[in-house]
Amino acid sequence: MSTQFVQALWGGILFGSVYGLMALGLTLVWGAVRLLNLAHGAIFVVGSYVAYWVVSSLNLPILVALPIGVLAAAAFAYLMHLIFIRPVIGKPGFDNSTLIATVGVSIAVSAAAILIFNPEYKVIPPVIGGNFTVSEVQITKQGLLVIGTSLALFGLVYLFLTYTRLGMAIRAVSQQQEAASLMAIPVVRTYGMVIAISGALAGLAGVLLSPFFFLNPNSGFNPMIQALIVTIFGGLGSVRGALVAGFVLGIFESFIEVYYGVAWAQPGVFLLIILMLILRPNGLFGIGEVRRL
Amino acid sequence: MLEVKGLVAGYGGGEVLHGIDLVVNEREGVIVLGPNGHGKTTLLRTITGLLPPRAGKVLLDGKEITRWRADSIAAAGLVHIPQGDLLFPEMTVTENLLMGAYHGPTWAERNARLDRVYELFPWLKERRGQLARTLSGGERRMLALGRGLMSKARLLLIDEPSLGLAPLITQQIYASIHKVKESGMSLLIADENANHVAGLADRVYLLETGSLVREGPANDLLRDKALLESYLG
Repeated sequence: MSTQFVQALWGGILFGSVYGLMALGLTLVWGAVRLLNLAHGAIFVVGSYVAYWVVSSLNLPILVALPIGVLAAAAFAYLMHLIFIRPVIGKPGFDNSTLIATVGVSIAVSAAAILIFNPEYKVIPPVIGGNFTVSEVQITKQGLLVIGTSLALFGLVYLFLTYTRLGMAIRAVSQQQEAASLMAIPVVRTYGMVIAISGALAGLAGVLLSPFFFLNPNSGFNPMIQALIVTIFGGLGSVRGALVAGFVLGIFESFIEVYYGVAWAQPGVFLLIILMLILRPNGLFGIGEVRRL
Repeated sequence: MLEVKGLVAGYGGGEVLHGIDLVVNEREGVIVLGPNGHGKTTLLRTITGLLPPRAGKVLLDGKEITRWRADSIAAAGLVHIPQGDLLFPEMTVTENLLMGAYHGPTWAERNARLDRVYELFPWLKERRGQLARTLSGGERRMLALGRGLMSKARLLLIDEPSLGLAPLITQQIYASIHKVKESGMSLLIADENANHVAGLADRVYLLETGSLVREGPANDLLRDKALLESYLG
């Protein structure tokens, strides 16, 4: 195999799994709550900064900082739900007000990050250091960890939604909210749980990814935009779609980058998405309004 | 057990129910008879918390539950089998049934109830792995009933059990409700056909344009053909 090919494949799988991990949280919240959470990138940043703070100020190892960052992101997402989402559930104008509120939360988070820390780039150490080479391409162990974690989480979320009482309740709420409440399922509390789970996923992505990108007050923005694209490509609300679309787009982008240059990567991805949306307007696995989680 | 006092409810600017007084006793089968569009569905929806009442009270065992959330009312044992079935379309028959037992039981208990419901509706058992959206109308109604029975219901509120079903399936549905009643369940059924509910009813209320106009033992009211005809046409 040529170096170029290995490089493109490695980059594609790595970024694909990252996109998938971010998209998983977005798609869960969309599927269950019908909330387009534009604060997903901000939650990613919250998790990253908390982990950074634990490592740099408390001098604790990254393995301790990782779960703390994840929990902080989940708590932050839940708090956002309590303050901005829950009061407007079931009210007219839910879409508009939550869209604006989540953008507001994003702006507030990046401003707070500048005030509390500073706008400079931070470094979070990788959970596993070191690398090895395959056909002259550097494979980082952290990269392998990200890929493994992402795949494992897709598996876990699938099992959770399919076999557990709470997971089934989340699907029930997403498919037929009124009947769910007649089954004694507390709908709004279930929404809160989905948002917290999605926040944990974003926080985890933040802590695991920051060693690659460096951390700054806006470093959640690009991953969120990529995740949005992946979610739309895969079908809003579809878990399987997020997984497949994450890898398809990641690998596609990476190959264009390696073979045709970075300048073509984004236009190429968008061209692919436009073509796909013409053929399947609801995305790869989106089946319209009725079919969700 | 269930007591409704002066219940007023409606949608938007319109008032549908104008002060309903109704009682269901333990192990009693109570039927609310009335033509379409006179407020039967609104009555059940208001009792089970899907629609907030404008005035009046709902009491369960003397305890006021009037403004409780729908999920809390269901957890308290008032289980509503709604019009249109409202199944979970992308879940299998078994998953739909399990959601009926969301509140309370252990998995062992949940699975035991599942076996009981499959005993009552063997037809559903044959289709247990099928998605709910692929079922026929009769199968859907059975599933909606079965899902309600999965709960630890003290009172089942059933909205027009036969709506949109063929006569043969209608018979089967009422036969299974009959079995449920014999097991000691209290029932509040909204219906527009007096013949269907004759065997189930202990007491009957007649609902006309949002008010209960007559109440009495089923034996008297359901035999009075002239009266029924004048109300139900």
